[in-house]
Amino acid sequence: MHHTILQRLRLKAVAGFAAGGLAAALSLGTPAIAQTLVTWDDYTDVGQNAVIEQLNKNFVAAHPGVTLNRTARTFDDLSLTLKLTVSAGDGPEVTKVNQGAGDQGTMAQQGLLLPIDDYIAQYGWDKRQSEGILARTRWSDKGQFGEGPAYGISGLGEIVGLYYNQKVLADAGIAAAPASFEELVQDVETLKGKGVTPFVIGTAKQHFALHLIAGIEQAHIDASNRQTLDDLVYGRGGSFKTDAGLAAATIVQKWATEGGFIDGYQGISGDDAVQLFVAGGGAFLVSGTWQFGAMQNNPDIHFMPVPPPAGVTKPLSVGGVDLSWSITSNAKDKATQDLGAQYIDYMVSPEAATIWAEAGFFPSTPLSDPSVVKSTVLSEGLAMWKTLGENNALGHYPDWASPTLLKTYDDNTPLLLAGSITPQAFVDAVDADYQAYLATKK
Amino acid sequence: MTTADSQTRPRTATAPKRARAGRQGNRVSVLDRPGPSNLLYILPGFLIYGAFVFLPILAAIGISLTDWNGISSPVFVGLDNFAKLFADDLFYKALGNNAQFILYYCVFPLLIGIVLAAILSSVGTRQRLALRTLFFLPYIMPTAVLGIIFQWLYNPAFGPFNQILKAVGLGKLALPWLGDFHFVLPAVGAVATWYFFGFCMVIFLTGIQRIDPSLHDAAKVDGARPWQSFASITAPLLLPEIRVVLLLTVIASIKSFDLIFTMTRGGPSNATLVPNIYMYQLGFQLNRFGYAAAVALIGAILVFAVNFVIHQTMQRLDKVSQ
Repeated sequence: MHHTILQRLRLKAVAGFAAGGLAAALSLGTPAIAQTLVTWDDYTDVGQNAVIEQLNKNFVAAHPGVTLNRTARTFDDLSLTLKLTVSAGDGPEVTKVNQGAGDQGTMAQQGLLLPIDDYIAQYGWDKRQSEGILARTRWSDKGQFGEGPAYGISGLGEIVGLYYNQKVLADAGIAAAPASFEELVQDVETLKGKGVTPFVIGTAKQHFALHLIAGIEQAHIDASNRQTLDDLVYGRGGSFKTDAGLAAATIVQKWATEGGFIDGYQGISGDDAVQLFVAGGGAFLVSGTWQFGAMQNNPDIHFMPVPPPAGVTKPLSVGGVDLSWSITSNAKDKATQDLGAQYIDYMVSPEAATIWAEAGFFPSTPLSDPSVVKSTVLSEGLAMWKTLGENNALGHYPDWASPTLLKTYDDNTPLLLAGSITPQAFVDAVDADYQAYLATKK
Repeated sequence: MTTADSQTRPRTATAPKRARAGRQGNRVSVLDRPGPSNLLYILPGFLIYGAFVFLPILAAIGISLTDWNGISSPVFVGLDNFAKLFADDLFYKALGNNAQFILYYCVFPLLIGIVLAAILSSVGTRQRLALRTLFFLPYIMPTAVLGIIFQWLYNPAFGPFNQILKAVGLGKLALPWLGDFHFVLPAVGAVATWYFFGFCMVIFLTGIQRIDPSLHDAAKVDGARPWQSFASITAPLLLPEIRVVLLLTVIASIKSFDLIFTMTRGGPSNATLVPNIYMYQLGFQLNRFGYAAAVALIGAILVFAVNFVIHQTMQRLDKVSQ
């Protein structure tokens, strides 16, 4: 639902009438105030779109006189248009925004997003989500990630983990899912020997190679040693040239060049890879909980953390939360800001979490009644979420560390997988990007 | 080129006569009046042109001299962006890729188009009409749509190209076309060739119809073979059409974006990166609008420079052939 200029003028007129009507309504003692809230989100997936439409309907029903003007954009489109639109004084009052330096960090620095700490305290959002999660939307006045005011909160959790097809494994003579990284490496060799595709992956679109490399890398890090990774991603300093990073790049290159991946993976998109995996096209796939909707169509598919190597007892799992809900600078007056906060409060409420879970999606707010979960992969994901929370083992998306890191990964992962560069050169390229970013902060 | 001249000169010679005939009447057309008052009539077009072409170009020049993330205030950096650009390996890679794409956008369609035009000009009218329509069909489709369609056709898992190769026992040739560093550029370029050759062919067919048939008849009487007739008569007399086709297809190749964007987004690992995709990435993904504007300006200068060279070369060839 894209807005025309006329629509926007109408919206502003309605907002003007709403503001003007506020005093009249109060003087007449009328509780309902006409107000329009402009929202943008990235729920373009059919299943997610159905849920957000239901949630919006519920919110409007509970707030007489309030109208929602929703625009749904894909992740890429949202990222491309949000900053420029809000900086021009147009667009949403409440929006989803990608965390990290490229989007949320830039917008927070430029005052295009409003801090929400008062609302966190008012609604008790810090009781629903841990500080470790909320920190991923914090930006200090000096541009330090992970510190300072919070600029958003998310409704869905995300974990990047290992999907495995129990039937494919069993048919290849593998009785159980790998309990350790060494077992996973062995299983890949066993599957290759039996002529079964070990990993289904597609690198033509989406970021499956990045998630595979980062998933293995962070599974090599014990939660007790997570400070180094936290410092790295929050831009406090450090280096991507680690043993874990090198080990991950090395094994992924070996799998890519020695038949560990599905044939033609270079020309297959990530979405196509998921469809192939659901159809039984291979034993393993590394991706996130956002694939639950497709994965639950095959009951043989299960979800688990990327298994750790020996010696790591509480491995990190790449993940966090989906794009956060934020209030933009377009919410000029307190009434609009408060309405935005009410909307966000509903989006991260236990009621919304239940509706997401019933549809098979992965809410970040704990469920008041876990029995609503019918999907196997969702049950497994929620159990993982609980364990990761207890172990303080929820890792990070490494590309959040610098505004250009996602492109650097995109440019270099195909070279790594093709064997055109060494694993060390890959790690060096990633680190060079990061160090260049750190230099700009000084 | 005496034949062409004899056909065109009389037309130009009659034009002043018609104009004079108009003036000899009772009224002189307002459009024929000298003086600046007529400039008023181009004002609407000029305003639109100024707003949507001229001002954005000026804005791009201004932005290219700044460091600007699209949100905060731009910081003037002089020619820094251009200095960085000329030391940027990725920019040179994009230019190199663009040079290769010129083969697929320009040279191959031109060659295929001229050969097909020569063949079609010798078949019957009905067959010519049917084949001309068939070959021209790709050109009426938006290139972005073609990109999406061919992305599916090239898909290694589901696409018909690889399915057919596997079905006929050529499974080893079933490559991940859009994910292979060596084949991705030809794979995308082939779509551009398929898109443009019909257009080139139609232009050349029109040109061939302009050539006096008696020249071919005379050559035939003199014992010239068809290819000799093509090389000595058809091709030289088609120089004006070749110039038009070259100009249009070279411009299309240098400003190429949509086909590449929908098929590969410049990947894998920048194997199909061209300046326009690079400009898009810099501006809209990395928020480096000043640097992106510098790329855009250099791209525009390239279009003018290459077309100037083509224009000059063709003029020289034209004179030599006369």
